[in-house]
Amino acid sequence: MKRRLFLLAYLLGCLIISVSFGQKSRHFYNVDSEKKIEGRIQDIKMEPRYKSTAPFLVIKLAENGTQTVYNVEISPIWFFDQDFHKGEDLTVIGSYYLTDGKTPSIIAREIRYRGRTLALRDKHGFPNWRGGQMKGKARKRGKGKMGL
Amino acid sequence: MAILGRVENNTRGQFVWQEGRGEHLFPSMFERVKMKIFIHFVLAMVFVNSYLGADSLFLSLVQNMTNNLFQNRLSEADQVSNLSFSLDKDFSSFSLFSSGEYSYLFENSDVIYCSLELGMDYLHPLGGKTALYVSLTGSGTFYKEDYRDFNYLNVNGFMALKSYIHQTSILRSHYSFVYRKYRAPLFDYWSHGLFLSVDKYFQSRTTLKGELNWGFKYFTHPYQDEDADVELERHVFHRGMGKGRHSGGSTPSRPSLESEGEGIQIISLSALLAQGLGNKVGLNFSVTKQMVISGQNPFESVYEFYLVENPSYDRFSWDGYEAGSQLTVLMPWTVNLKIGYTYSNKMFPGIESYSLEEESLGITRRDRRGRIDLRLEKIFARISVFVHYAFVDNRSNDPLFDWNGHFISLGFEWNHFYGGQQ
Repeated sequence: MKRRLFLLAYLLGCLIISVSFGQKSRHFYNVDSEKKIEGRIQDIKMEPRYKSTAPFLVIKLAENGTQTVYNVEISPIWFFDQDFHKGEDLTVIGSYYLTDGKTPSIIAREIRYRGRTLALRDKHGFPNWRGGQMKGKARKRGKGKMGL
Repeated sequence: MAILGRVENNTRGQFVWQEGRGEHLFPSMFERVKMKIFIHFVLAMVFVNSYLGADSLFLSLVQNMTNNLFQNRLSEADQVSNLSFSLDKDFSSFSLFSSGEYSYLFENSDVIYCSLELGMDYLHPLGGKTALYVSLTGSGTFYKEDYRDFNYLNVNGFMALKSYIHQTSILRSHYSFVYRKYRAPLFDYWSHGLFLSVDKYFQSRTTLKGELNWGFKYFTHPYQDEDADVELERHVFHRGMGKGRHSGGSTPSRPSLESEGEGIQIISLSALLAQGLGNKVGLNFSVTKQMVISGQNPFESVYEFYLVENPSYDRFSWDGYEAGSQLTVLMPWTVNLKIGYTYSNKMFPGIESYSLEEESLGITRRDRRGRIDLRLEKIFARISVFVHYAFVDNRSNDPLFDWNGHFISLGFEWNHFYGGQQ
């Protein structure tokens, strides 16, 4: 039976291998173009952003003062994890770029709101989210973790 | 379904499974599962992750300390080291993921356990404002020595729908299905759960949320076969409390209803009020009222352990309410502070209270609990570290469960991304 369990683990590994392939993106996280924006949410939607990932949660954020509207891309699965609403104030740190050469956009690395910090990516722009995250929240409640 | 085996004490007074008439494949499979499987599993997954293109690897190491591991008046201290990992591979809307967890207890080494999980999930947008999430997970948890009868295999299906019914209002619904098979068939169950929530955000930075939860849990055979003459001493479920509090009380279940299942149905209502105080401070209050609308706990007693699951306790076990508040503060240098207080009043239907002299008090067990939480987290470039302290004061009409305890956790989490930069 132990052999079966090993076999099961390795088969899963093979499955993961079989589905791995390079990703091609239209744009990349550029640490040199990082900026911090404080603003208010104007719109929330899911949009396709990258070829090999699920659609992203994208927020239209109007910058305080200038009222410039940025498209802030958050992540795919965090659409479920976090509840953003129109009118909420956010502080976003991320990589700035122009969509189609004209629309200001931000790939979010960190979001601060309601007294919390959401670390979406590390300082090099690599994502922090992962599969099973949505379900994991419920699963970990009773075991291995406690409290807040 | 007949129970083809029995649980009894061995010569060391430990809790062991004795295979009975006929072969029951599940227990015999557990006999052969060793902790080193966890290590091999991790190595295999890390190998796949490192060299062959999975997307990310997440690691966490948490050191936990408590003066009351088993959460009763006898206050047994212990430390729990918890190592966990998860990795995943995305391909379009699908992702495959696996995770593992190993917990080492310094004083109670027979409760050491590991958990392994494999799964897949799928995220599908339905227009720009709605998304569907589906996941299917298989997992197993394996304990050492005395607690092997708590070993289980688990299948979990989960489906969620989230929709912006308005830019300031979110509708969310979940459905979950769990099938869990234990080494000791007493605890086997399946369950269904439905969850619905609606929230509304106001310009005053106030969020109101209402939640409705329904669940049904069915123990497939919580009663003992009288012929099997099963003896489960209570200390089996709770080490350190002394042997046989209910001497002759025999089983965790009521005897005589051979092979009959029992279901518990619950419904709960929750309300939450969250208030933002600028971007750096958040405050929320919540209250939950839960009712058991049919059935009751099939076991004689209910136990909660610190960081270790016990099959006699979960969200289906109680009827009552919980109220809590939490303050979150974003401090300088990206330090997050959370302070929380929770009060709960829970009655456990079907669970009788006993005196310390092992005599029935003729009342249903009721616990009133106050809890304070304090958590500090610092996020660095690639890792985050945290410290968490909790104090719990539990007042029960069953004197064994009149206890308080301190719980401290120190940990770090590390996320490493292997895929192409996005």
